[in-house]
Amino acid sequence: MVRDSRVAVVLVLLILGARGAAAQDSVLISRQLAEAEGLVVGGSIRLAPDATGAGARDFRIAGIYEPTPDPARLGQVPREVRLHLPDLLDLTRPPDVPQGTERVSSINVLLADPADASQFARDVNARMPGVVARPAAEAAGAAGPFRVLERFHLAIAIVTIVAATVFLLALTVMHVDERRETVGVLRLIGLPVRRILVQVLLEGLLIAGVGAIVGLVLAWLSEGLINSFFQWRYDTALVFVRITPDVAAMCVAIAVPLGAVSTAVASWALLRRNGLRLVRR
Amino acid sequence: MNAVGFAWRSLVRQPARASLGILGVAAVGALLFDMLLLSQGLILSMSDLLERTGWDVRVSLDESGPGRGRSGVINQVSDVLADIAALPEVRSAIAIRFADARVEGPGGEAAFAFVQGVSDSARMPWTVTRGRDAAGTDQLVINDALATTIGAEPGATITMRPSCEGDSDALPPVSFQVAGIADFPFQETGEGTAAGSLAALSRACGGNQDDKAHMLLVTSTGDADAAAAMIRRHRPGLAAISNDDVVGRVQQSGFTYFRQISTVLTTVTLAFAVLLITVLLTVSVNQRLGEIAALRALGFSRRRVAADVLSESMLIVGIGGLLSLPIGLALAAMLDRILKGMPGIPEALHFFVFDPSALLIHAALMTATALVAALYPVRIVARLPIAATLRSEVIG
Repeated sequence: MVRDSRVAVVLVLLILGARGAAAQDSVLISRQLAEAEGLVVGGSIRLAPDATGAGARDFRIAGIYEPTPDPARLGQVPREVRLHLPDLLDLTRPPDVPQGTERVSSINVLLADPADASQFARDVNARMPGVVARPAAEAAGAAGPFRVLERFHLAIAIVTIVAATVFLLALTVMHVDERRETVGVLRLIGLPVRRILVQVLLEGLLIAGVGAIVGLVLAWLSEGLINSFFQWRYDTALVFVRITPDVAAMCVAIAVPLGAVSTAVASWALLRRNGLRLVRR
Repeated sequence: MNAVGFAWRSLVRQPARASLGILGVAAVGALLFDMLLLSQGLILSMSDLLERTGWDVRVSLDESGPGRGRSGVINQVSDVLADIAALPEVRSAIAIRFADARVEGPGGEAAFAFVQGVSDSARMPWTVTRGRDAAGTDQLVINDALATTIGAEPGATITMRPSCEGDSDALPPVSFQVAGIADFPFQETGEGTAAGSLAALSRACGGNQDDKAHMLLVTSTGDADAAAAMIRRHRPGLAAISNDDVVGRVQQSGFTYFRQISTVLTTVTLAFAVLLITVLLTVSVNQRLGEIAALRALGFSRRRVAADVLSESMLIVGIGGLLSLPIGLALAAMLDRILKGMPGIPEALHFFVFDPSALLIHAALMTATALVAALYPVRIVARLPIAATLRSEVIG
């Protein structure tokens, strides 16, 4: 992507409906605009560069497209028209600007070898002062607000894990307490503390593993619901929640050891006591 | 002993369990409190910020809100300003012109800054914190961020090379004296800002910026919406929006995301709290069935044992809820710092803002959580068969 100074173009939709499509230049319109204004393929629209309608021109709708979801424009319904560049320049050129001297916002370049993107950007930056070139991958990765949101969500996740851990500990304390007499009997018939601890640990692992799987199934089921709701709410094709294998693996990697460790910690206090005390004799 | 005292003794008897339950509620309650602060925080903060500036209508070519965003240029601005100031709904009005500039300090350190030029007014849209306000065409005030970066204090001379019409400007450097250090209400974190009179900016722009501005700030005589409507009628080519319109736009814009996430997390948090407190109380009650049956046999009524369980729930949630407030405030400050890392967010704007109504809603939701969580265990103790329970306890 090569980026030059900004050109803000406001196109105002003035007249809709089916006019004669012959000899008209064609445009594409976004699905959202088509739905909002009841436009159909083959119809005609009139576009003007300002709100007064001066300099308006007729265009034929050649197609309706779904805009590429843009996280930076969340909440803004994309009512867009795509014109051929010469049509846009003709439409927006001020009277005192000669043809061929207009400015554009950016130029997208498709390289023969995508691996050359960084070198190409460096070359353009070196040879053309005043123009900023950068690889598309780098431009896409520079979504600052979403990096911040990622950190925000991570912080919320940490608080949730802390709360869940505390509750888990409370539950395991009660669970272990419930089995005080059973553990006491096992101690009295000669099972060593290590053997009982391994059993408790395995039990904790099993419960935590099943819990993690149930949690993942629940997350997988709610993924569709959450995406449907937010896509409807913001009228966008953007994907808000995606349960990737990495995310699932991280959840299991946190939940299972946490469950096992909390069971072992809760059991340890009990196992240190004398068998007779455990059976209350 | 009343039900609360009895419930307290039950909790004290099992300190580990009670402490963990309370800590869990505190953590969940803190998250809930934060989500309540987040749900309205940005709106409250923006309203407060707009109110503090003192201007209640903004006039531009394309409905620009406050802050960094730059709209088209209003030509013959002195005529427009006089025209608008003469309207009966308008008390006062100023014009502001924006530019970007490379500013060099006395030691040669340079930084890019956002520059504002304001038409003569007794009230400038910034607050001087050190030194004095800019006067004439050769003085500026700068903010702390710029002062620190370029090493300039009041009295220092700085050099400015502005871009007034576009990025391709190549204007000669102009010197200014720093009159003072000022706070700008919509300055972004770390962003350098300089400001002075419209004439001063015009001088920096080589004198070709006369009678142009990007925005007018208007103070109404009382009814901002009426003043905005009158300006729109009087000057159809201009867009006038009141502070309420700006706040309404924030509500409608992408920041609704935070309200949505706040609602989702509030719901999930409450469901989580209800589920886990129910489990805690249910297991606790199940472990004490014999004891409860004995109390019933001694003459405790169903209502009384139910009140004991309900009190236990209220104590866990009540103590946890109280603890959650300071934890929530500390957590909110941390989360606010994270979110303010977003580009384009004014330094003085906050995502988490304390509001008494949030405290009331928090208390109401926590009380409801305690009541709902106690329903199932209360049902168990209320329907407990005394003789059968005592018999099974003795046999067990």
